[in-house]
Amino acid sequence: MSSETKSVCEKVTYEYLFNTHSKTLYNYIYYKCGDEQQAEDIVQDAFIKLWNNCSKVVFDKAKSFLYTVARNIFLNEVAHKKIVLEHQNTQINKVSNETPQFILEEQEFMQKLKTAIANLPEKQREVFLLSRIDKKKYSEIAEITGVSLKAVEKRMSLALVTLRKQFGKI
Amino acid sequence: MEKFIKEDEFLARWIAGELSKEELKKFENSEDYPVLKKINDASQTLKAPTFNSQALLNKLREQTSAKPKTSKTPIIKLIPNWAYAAAVVVVALGMFYVMNMQSHFTTGFSEQLAVVLPDNSEVKLNANSHLYYKTLNWKSNRALELEGEAFFDVEKGESFKVLTNEGIVEVLGTEFNVISRDTYFEVQCMEGKVRVTSNSLKKAIILLPGEAVRVINKSLEEWNFTLNEPNWLAGESTFYNAPISQVLVALENQFQITFDTSNIDLDKRFTGAFTHTDLSLALRTVSAPMNLSYTVNNEKGIIVLNSKQ
Repeated sequence: MSSETKSVCEKVTYEYLFNTHSKTLYNYIYYKCGDEQQAEDIVQDAFIKLWNNCSKVVFDKAKSFLYTVARNIFLNEVAHKKIVLEHQNTQINKVSNETPQFILEEQEFMQKLKTAIANLPEKQREVFLLSRIDKKKYSEIAEITGVSLKAVEKRMSLALVTLRKQFGKI
Repeated sequence: MEKFIKEDEFLARWIAGELSKEELKKFENSEDYPVLKKINDASQTLKAPTFNSQALLNKLREQTSAKPKTSKTPIIKLIPNWAYAAAVVVVALGMFYVMNMQSHFTTGFSEQLAVVLPDNSEVKLNANSHLYYKTLNWKSNRALELEGEAFFDVEKGESFKVLTNEGIVEVLGTEFNVISRDTYFEVQCMEGKVRVTSNSLKKAIILLPGEAVRVINKSLEEWNFTLNEPNWLAGESTFYNAPISQVLVALENQFQITFDTSNIDLDKRFTGAFTHTDLSLALRTVSAPMNLSYTVNNEKGIIVLNSKQ
């Protein structure tokens, strides 16, 4: 799938792009607005736009086209909600041999962390979560969010500093 | 905490695992490390809401089953592409026209014409002659093309060139007479200094006042004269040792006649003059010293010349 001559108008190529990018695109928008339904709608709209413009968008540019379109749609209909993140349950099972008090403290910590993340400024949050949850490299985050690598690193550091301030000594 | 904020990307580098060993060691000993490590570890166990991509793909498949929409209203350009091409052509033609704008003067049989050039230089054209020059940039490029005979009175300035088939005459402010007909090329200098370059001889000659030069059949002849102005300006053509063929051409041009010269030797030389006002007198002054007789053939409108032996 590296060929430059691949046309986005071909069903196979189009669905390949969907399978590759839709999840990150969805998460990215969700990190911004915290609304699952809105995130899904925006992903759908972005891919429909890609289809309607498939003859004008070359394969290599499709990814940034999608993110740019999604970002613009988002800006046009901002309706922010608090984002709600879930645990990966596997992690908790691992530490189940700890004392009940420890588990309680852990749960409290997680709750506090989620709130703190939800309260982060949008720009710091999207960078932090794309890095920590979606395991994207800074360079990729820069491409997704449409800012420079330097700005992404700054936002990442700022996010950590902001979060750190929410917690006292452990 | 403070020292890690000082460097904007420190924590970002830590997350990316780009810290050096020393940096990492120092950082691990700081009081912020346990908290930040916990935040990092814990945040990696988080996940976004589940995204049902298959359902969305199915929705998209429905919506995109139709052919991709082409834009409904065709875009009509305000300025069609061919208009640009046409504009370029028009501008190019305009430039070409301006760059090559020529003034063109012609005299017919027995006509004379005085032309004043843009720099006030004067050209007097003798009968049946043509003169062309480019009007653009005349001051910096004084060059004109001549076919026939003309007398030049040139104002001082940049070099002044007369281009003819047979050669180039180049001057710096002077008066001179040029004849260029077919292979015949003659220059007489009245004033100043003239440089004559012959194309056929590949040779340049400098003429001073009173000097003249002619090229006939690839041979060069020089002579001196005493006129201040060519006689043809005063209604008379003067020749010094000129081939009879040139004399007859001059007669033809002045009187709009045609000679049949098949019976005579055209290489004979003629010294003398003829008037422009009276044909029979002119014919007699030319034919008598050359030992020629002439008969006028009215039917064909030609004058037949014969040698008297």
